[in-house]
Amino acid sequence: MTKKERKSINQSLTDWKLFLYNPTTKECLGRTAQSWGLILLFYLVFYGFLAALFSFTMWVMLQTLNDERPKYQDQITSPGLMVFPKPVTALEYTFSRNDPASYEAYVRDLKNFLKPYALEAQKNLSVCNKGGLFEQNGPEYIACQFPVSLLDECSGANDPDFGYSQGNPCILVKMNRIIGLKPQGQPRIDCDSQDTSIATIITYPPNGVIDLKYFPYYGKKRHVGYLQPLVAVQLRFVPENAGQEATVTCKIEGSDNLKNQDDRDKFLGRVVFKFTMRA
Amino acid sequence: LFQKTLEIYSVELSGTKDVEKTDKEDGKEKYRGLKNKCLDTKKNHQKEEFKKELDLDDHKLSNKELEKKYGTDIITGLSSSRAAELLARDGPNALTPPKQTSEIIKFLKQMVGGFSILLWVGAFLCYIAFGIQYSNNPSSSLDNVYLGSVLILVVILTGVFAYYQEAKSTNIMSSFSKMIPQQALVIRDSEKKVIPAEQLVAGDIVEVKGGDQIPADIRVLSAQGCRVDNSCLTGESEPQSRCCEFTHENPLETKNICFYSTTCLEGTATGLVISTGDRTIIGHIASLASGVGNEKTPIAIEIEHFVHMVAGVAVSIGVLFFIIAVCLKYQVLDAIIFLISIIVANVPEGLLATVTVTLSLTAKRMAKKNCLVKNLEAVETLGSTSIICSDKTGTLTQNRMTVAHLWFDNQIFVADTSEDHSNQLFDQSSRTWASLSKIITLCNRAEFKPGQESVPIMKKTVVGDASETALLKFSEVILGDVMEIRKRNRKVAEIPFNSTNKFQLSIHETEDPIEKCSTVMIHGEEQPLDKSTAKAFHMAYMELGGLGERVLGFCHLYLPADKFPENYSFDIDTMNFPTSNLCFVGLLSMIDPPRSTVPDAVTKCRSAGIKVIMVTGDHPITAKAIAKSVGIISANSETVEDIANRLNVAVEQVNKRPPRDAKAAVVTGQELKDMSPEQLDEILSNYPEIVFARTSPQQKLIIVEGCQRQDAVVAVTGDGVNDSPALKKADIGIAMGIAGSDAAKNAADMVLLDDNFASIVTGVEEGRLIFDNLKKTIAYTLTKNIAELCPFLIYIIVGLPLPIGTITILFIDLGTDIIPSIALAYEKAESDIMNRKPRHKKRDRLVNAPLAVYSYLHIGLMQALGAFVVYFTVYAQEGFQPTSLINLRVDWEKDDVNDLEDSYGQEWTRYQRRHLEWIGYTGFFTGILVQQIADLIIRKTRRNSIFQQGLFRNKVIWVGIASQIIIGLILSYGLGSVTALSFAVLRPQYWFVAVPHAILIWVYDEVRKLFIRLYPGSWWDKNMYY
Repeated sequence: MTKKERKSINQSLTDWKLFLYNPTTKECLGRTAQSWGLILLFYLVFYGFLAALFSFTMWVMLQTLNDERPKYQDQITSPGLMVFPKPVTALEYTFSRNDPASYEAYVRDLKNFLKPYALEAQKNLSVCNKGGLFEQNGPEYIACQFPVSLLDECSGANDPDFGYSQGNPCILVKMNRIIGLKPQGQPRIDCDSQDTSIATIITYPPNGVIDLKYFPYYGKKRHVGYLQPLVAVQLRFVPENAGQEATVTCKIEGSDNLKNQDDRDKFLGRVVFKFTMRA
Repeated sequence: LFQKTLEIYSVELSGTKDVEKTDKEDGKEKYRGLKNKCLDTKKNHQKEEFKKELDLDDHKLSNKELEKKYGTDIITGLSSSRAAELLARDGPNALTPPKQTSEIIKFLKQMVGGFSILLWVGAFLCYIAFGIQYSNNPSSSLDNVYLGSVLILVVILTGVFAYYQEAKSTNIMSSFSKMIPQQALVIRDSEKKVIPAEQLVAGDIVEVKGGDQIPADIRVLSAQGCRVDNSCLTGESEPQSRCCEFTHENPLETKNICFYSTTCLEGTATGLVISTGDRTIIGHIASLASGVGNEKTPIAIEIEHFVHMVAGVAVSIGVLFFIIAVCLKYQVLDAIIFLISIIVANVPEGLLATVTVTLSLTAKRMAKKNCLVKNLEAVETLGSTSIICSDKTGTLTQNRMTVAHLWFDNQIFVADTSEDHSNQLFDQSSRTWASLSKIITLCNRAEFKPGQESVPIMKKTVVGDASETALLKFSEVILGDVMEIRKRNRKVAEIPFNSTNKFQLSIHETEDPIEKCSTVMIHGEEQPLDKSTAKAFHMAYMELGGLGERVLGFCHLYLPADKFPENYSFDIDTMNFPTSNLCFVGLLSMIDPPRSTVPDAVTKCRSAGIKVIMVTGDHPITAKAIAKSVGIISANSETVEDIANRLNVAVEQVNKRPPRDAKAAVVTGQELKDMSPEQLDEILSNYPEIVFARTSPQQKLIIVEGCQRQDAVVAVTGDGVNDSPALKKADIGIAMGIAGSDAAKNAADMVLLDDNFASIVTGVEEGRLIFDNLKKTIAYTLTKNIAELCPFLIYIIVGLPLPIGTITILFIDLGTDIIPSIALAYEKAESDIMNRKPRHKKRDRLVNAPLAVYSYLHIGLMQALGAFVVYFTVYAQEGFQPTSLINLRVDWEKDDVNDLEDSYGQEWTRYQRRHLEWIGYTGFFTGILVQQIADLIIRKTRRNSIFQQGLFRNKVIWVGIASQIIIGLILSYGLGSVTALSFAVLRPQYWFVAVPHAILIWVYDEVRKLFIRLYPGSWWDKNMYY
């Protein structure tokens, strides 16, 4: 290092020190105490004002909302389908019927999910008339019972393992809730196994029918205790082909205003999942 | 009886002759400066070359010795084969053009300059991120690939654009520097041949006649009345005579050498080529110029400073949040993507392109006003100029002799020296004037070239020497058709003014013509010439000479018809006619007058805080006279010498300590040579009015460097080859387009097409305006960076669904904001920018702290809040209330969560959420857009109220606003279906959500400006004025 460079480093060091605190002008970081005070006060006032303003505009905006139903529903015109239990990654399930640990999480998930469907939980709900839309005008909105018995073998009532221990695992399929959605026709959830030599499929209730009495939905606030109708899919694995992957596609069928085909949205009115039963 | 009017003599007196003597002495020294410089240069070959030049003794050699030295024959010339050999050895007789940077390097520089490096890094990080994602999950989304490609596209597009702009402005110049191939008449193989001047070799015998450019450095072998114009080399406007005699030790002073690229004005000469191409004197000066490095322009420094600042902010915030993200247990991959987004949000991608366009718009505007800008960045340099070093000849003056004063009837009259001579106010009724005008008209060999009937008198080409031309034009303007008058008064005999013929004697005698005169004409009466009249004459002569003017005396004598009948044969050799006892009529003095626009321009520069220094190769007296007449030395300023003269004391006794009595200083090259740099600095900083005379090219360079040591931004104007090193060294070199030599134009950054010094004032004004407007553009552009950056910070820390996508940001930076930010370049000045001091190049930054703070922390933050209101509105009205969004990010972005519940119990699939996210992006985008309109309007002024400035005066602003809205509409409604762009159709009412915030921005800024105007110099002013 040459002398000159060292000098310039020293110089810049002293410059920095002077910048940090300059004893002659009593400046710290280029400002005097008074200047710092003023600038901090200014920002306090200014940002206080901005925060108040932001809160005010947000408050005005919130006044345009009502808490019963959202202002617009143009992004969710048609419901998506979703399955339970929720797998950890993607929609791929693997289990072994001989290894309870491998399906323990699934079973727990299903049990949790079905908790609101327990008889005690449902006892305050009404039994509604079958077969038609149940339109209500309030101010009280009645939620209809969904008897778990409809799910038959997948209800968990008889088999706490939901068929996993027998190699006939259950998957619950549900349709996303959308306020005010009125399905036309007779919607059902149709599930197919791609290769019946690996697994066949049984749906509960039979044909995956969804009763219209659960529609329309009136929202979390008004429709207290609302239970979505469920459809259970039970896979019956062919033991000879255990270890192979079964691909199941479920779609909403039988209703004109419920879409089941969209190039971009793979879950709009349909769901595809894969199941592997290890030997 | 018929009367013949014969004027017998026109006599030249040299007003500058007193100076000439001393000058010849210091002539030697004058070029020693040049030598010193060359010894200093590290380039060895240059040193050797110059030594050779110093050893030049060709002017001392006899013809025989020359023949021997160059292996040639004065009568037969070189043989063609020998010439070809020499040509092959020495190369063509042309100056090597300065080295050009190759186009590819220029292009690559654009590709990596400015923010490009950051964006390249961003793009590569994108690909790396995608690579990692892909290896984990082959079906992962292509978002990062899109982003990476878009970033690369952005870099390439802006690079190509900047390159194109550069190339376009360079092209203007290359078309400009095309020269007509020069021809030379050469004797080879005993034959006269016309060959291209490029093929000349040392040893060639060439013939030169009036009007030719000297094709190489030539040792004159024989000459007839040859006079050359050396002004492009030395700055002297007076023609120099050339003959074959060795008159001076110094090769540059001797009369028997003509220099390459000077012009032969009249007469003929035969000469031996002694050096060609780069080995000529001009070649040396040119290489001196190319040896001077190009300084970075002030605006380039400012932009670099700005880029460093913004890049520093971008990288530090990026890295800070990278660390924060990692601490918040984000995956490193996500953290990298945040880093990219933060960099993209922080970098104003479109700004450098905008600056280029803005500069080129100004360059175009200036070109319309006859300032051609070679280097775009030079547009601003002129605005920050604090010292102009101006050459005299051709820049401040018209570079042609013009009658400036008349003396007759014992009175000095002032002639109009403006470019068209239209306003001659002196008394033309006197009969003395009638006689004087007759002499001027008749005793004059100059003639207009035929075929110029439609050309204004002052622009007509004349055959004849400079003084006679001046007289011809002067009389043509006042008297009308001179040729007609001459026809009526037939010329019987004449003895042309010629310093080389035997009338040398008569000239010598008539140097004081009054001694030859016995009578003087006053008020039309001939009176005997007595002592008092003689004294009056001498007074006038001294006065005019003191003004640096060339004085001519005019006498006449009416020859009696009985002694000289019509058929009398005048013999000019035997002089069988009287040459004494003439009647003295009057004096005319001539000067190369200042251009009429210059004094005004100098005043304007003064009031703009710019110091104008004259640097000339001409004599100090002439230089000082011109400096006084153009205001470089103001009327009431005195030099030390003036004071000494006035007080009749020695120069040393004049008070030199501050406060100095002398405001002006005239420094000669001789004095400059003996000065240390400190002494020069002292002169430069202490005298507001300085004239440097008799300076060599090297000294011009020293002066420019001296000015630059004072932290000044120096502009140099010049036209000659001798100016080119200084032009190159200056922060901005300004060459004259018409009178300028190619060397000067090549070295300059700017060319004044009309040679009008006043154009510089326009340039200064434009340059200052562009600096102000660039501030506005940058402030406008920086503001939204915060609005673009905040979403990421909030996203990382609070976990909201992403409010704005990286690609959307690029659409703001490179789409909607481009035209508005260019529109700010059309903004008019807020106040009289010509009345303030030039900016200090180290203190008055383009992007200063208040600008950054106000843009980032005030308006930027308000904008971010406004845009967030739009974002929250979109989400809330679709079902996600603000509180439900907090920490929703993880679930929101999970691809297998397809039943995410909103605030109303509805469930959303991933794609539905994604689409809502795009609507959010679009909403945030329109939020920024609407507030950028307000931002654009407030940026019109920095101090004045918008209403003072006029909302509609700059129409382009409205074009900008319209473009913003139209591009916004196209993006949100037209391209909503293109996945990669992530725009979605937005409900029209969301466009208006941010309007209250936009209005607030405007009101806030008006309040800011109001306080700045009300309390100038206050705390508020210091912190809020950018």
